[in-house]
Amino acid sequence: MRFDLVTIDKGLEEIKERVKKIGEIITYLPTGETSSVDSIELDLLVASTRDLNSLSAELANVDLVIEEVPRRPRRSQTGKPKVGPDKISLQPDVVAAGSIAPAQQVAGGLSDLTGSLRSVSQTVRVDIRKLDHLMNIVGELAIVRGALARLADRLRGEGQRQSATDLLRLHRNFDRRLAEMQDGILEVRMVPLGQVFERLGRVVRQISRDLGKEIRLVITGAETEIDKLIVEELSDPLMHMIRNAIDHGIESAERRLTVGKPAMGTIALNAFQKGNHVMLEIEDDGRGIDGQAVLRRAVQLGKVGGEEAKDFTRADILGLIFLPGVSTREEANDVSGRGVGMDVVKTNISKLGGVIDVHSDDGIGTKMTITLPITLAIVSALLIRVADNTFAIPLASVSEAIGFDDAGLRVVDGREVMTLRGTTLPIARLDRLLSLSRSTSPPRRQYAVVAALGARRLGLVVDQLVGQQDIIIKPLGKSLNDVRGFAGATELGDQHVGLVIDAAALIDEVLSTTDAGARAARLTYG
Amino acid sequence: MGRLVELNSQRSPRREPGERESIREFLAVMLAGQTYGVELTRIREILSPPPLTAVPRAPAHVTGVCSVRGQLITVIDLRSRLRLEQAPLTRKTRILLTENAGEVVGLYVDEVRHVLRLTEAEIELATGVFGNDVSEHVIGIGRPPGHVLVLLDLTSVVPR
Repeated sequence: MRFDLVTIDKGLEEIKERVKKIGEIITYLPTGETSSVDSIELDLLVASTRDLNSLSAELANVDLVIEEVPRRPRRSQTGKPKVGPDKISLQPDVVAAGSIAPAQQVAGGLSDLTGSLRSVSQTVRVDIRKLDHLMNIVGELAIVRGALARLADRLRGEGQRQSATDLLRLHRNFDRRLAEMQDGILEVRMVPLGQVFERLGRVVRQISRDLGKEIRLVITGAETEIDKLIVEELSDPLMHMIRNAIDHGIESAERRLTVGKPAMGTIALNAFQKGNHVMLEIEDDGRGIDGQAVLRRAVQLGKVGGEEAKDFTRADILGLIFLPGVSTREEANDVSGRGVGMDVVKTNISKLGGVIDVHSDDGIGTKMTITLPITLAIVSALLIRVADNTFAIPLASVSEAIGFDDAGLRVVDGREVMTLRGTTLPIARLDRLLSLSRSTSPPRRQYAVVAALGARRLGLVVDQLVGQQDIIIKPLGKSLNDVRGFAGATELGDQHVGLVIDAAALIDEVLSTTDAGARAARLTYG
Repeated sequence: MGRLVELNSQRSPRREPGERESIREFLAVMLAGQTYGVELTRIREILSPPPLTAVPRAPAHVTGVCSVRGQLITVIDLRSRLRLEQAPLTRKTRILLTENAGEVVGLYVDEVRHVLRLTEAEIELATGVFGNDVSEHVIGIGRPPGHVLVLLDLTSVVPR
């Protein structure tokens, strides 16, 4: 049976009234087959003492399909109508299942119903920390795996070929199962984005009602899965962006008609997976971002110099909306326009290891694209070595790694910079930045890992690029809370721990410290 | 790691009635040639030192971090904390794991000796024995027959 979400209370009341005459509703079960965001399909399990034909006659003018649930010995206990006499076993339970595709529903309704009843009891809710714990154990086992490989190597070195081969075979088997286990645990953490989208649907309906705008929300890819923790953190930023789209983006119906757009605005929410990332797009067909207004506001706030502003490209200008205080609205209202928002959205997204891009055409619409890692538990990282230390830099914050030599360096404003494809790239030598002591002089050939945080970039000079590895980041203990520049540590196998560089913090530190003295003071901390 | 059990089984069985509540157990450890006592109930585990990773920018008394069965542990150098001279690690060097304010930290000691049971009468409170700097880390002096050891206060030794 299909209900409009808006009128679901009334609809349910109505069906209850009708069924009361002929039997009793035992339960409502969502079919999960809803094809539209505005409505929901429910299976109603109804107990009745009447037979199928008379029920069909009774409910003939309602949009639903009626079907009989055969009596099963165990179910008969609960399925038995309370009002009906005990001895009656001929009376069938009847299920009324309504659908927009009745034929299909008749065929599949019964198995659907029993299926969903069972799945309810087979689902467990698990504290995510327990999964983290399991993940830690997998990490431990990976270390055992490494030890097995080394043991096999040693046996071979000692001439015990047979044992070494046996051990290697075991090791391979172990390796495979361990990978499966890791995947399995990660999979458990995944939830479909539909959970957030559903809430957003409600928000859209409410806000568009409040603002008197007609808006259609089109959702695709609600089944795309992403880490549970990310989903939790995602709902606020998405909410904000949707609000912006409705308030700033979509014009009033009259205005839309005069520019030749349909009166009803459209907001599209698309999600899809792309490699190890999930892409989220929020697109509206509204008026687009008024670049000049944004620029004016940014200049007014002193974020951008007036002279500088002339050279700004459209992309530069759109980047400004992520600065605190920038809004295209002259006056704030209840929904948006206070100039707080996009900067917070951006911060929250980057906390999740994601990036946000904005694309907007005047009069045509705005599209925000968020790129997020699929899971927080495992991060792809670049392993680098500098002054005999191994560090990991999350790949999410690395844009590229290039060869580095002193020859191309210039000093601007007391800071080393190099030119990378025509743009200026500030350089920080990681050994100096972290005050690492060197026993030997740095190698002649060094590399610069370009870390990027939005538009800000910093080249971190390192000795060696070791390679890419998937790592599990663990936070440093409380006693190291004051140490800046590290996002945590990770096990690198072979029992060693490597520190994970917090690229965002280093970029902040280097690019925001103009005073060399302050920087030196910070470096010699402790 | 089965070490604690072993240590516990070494406890002498001399337990007289009435003496019970006043007995405290300390683990005797060596630091720069001197015996120190740490309260046994505070020690979670005694480990051979795993490979350590130094943390740049960390305070001087933090030797580094290591991983113990998947848990990240900050290791603190007790010598530097107590302003003792530095010495290289030896075969006998151990790490004591203790929990402090919800964080598990490791403490470097030169050697773990044995468990001592001290009656209140054998503990001399520290006030005034040492200079101010050190005495805040010290509960007192233990004087079991034939021994003298400094009893460390783990809560204050581990910096917050």
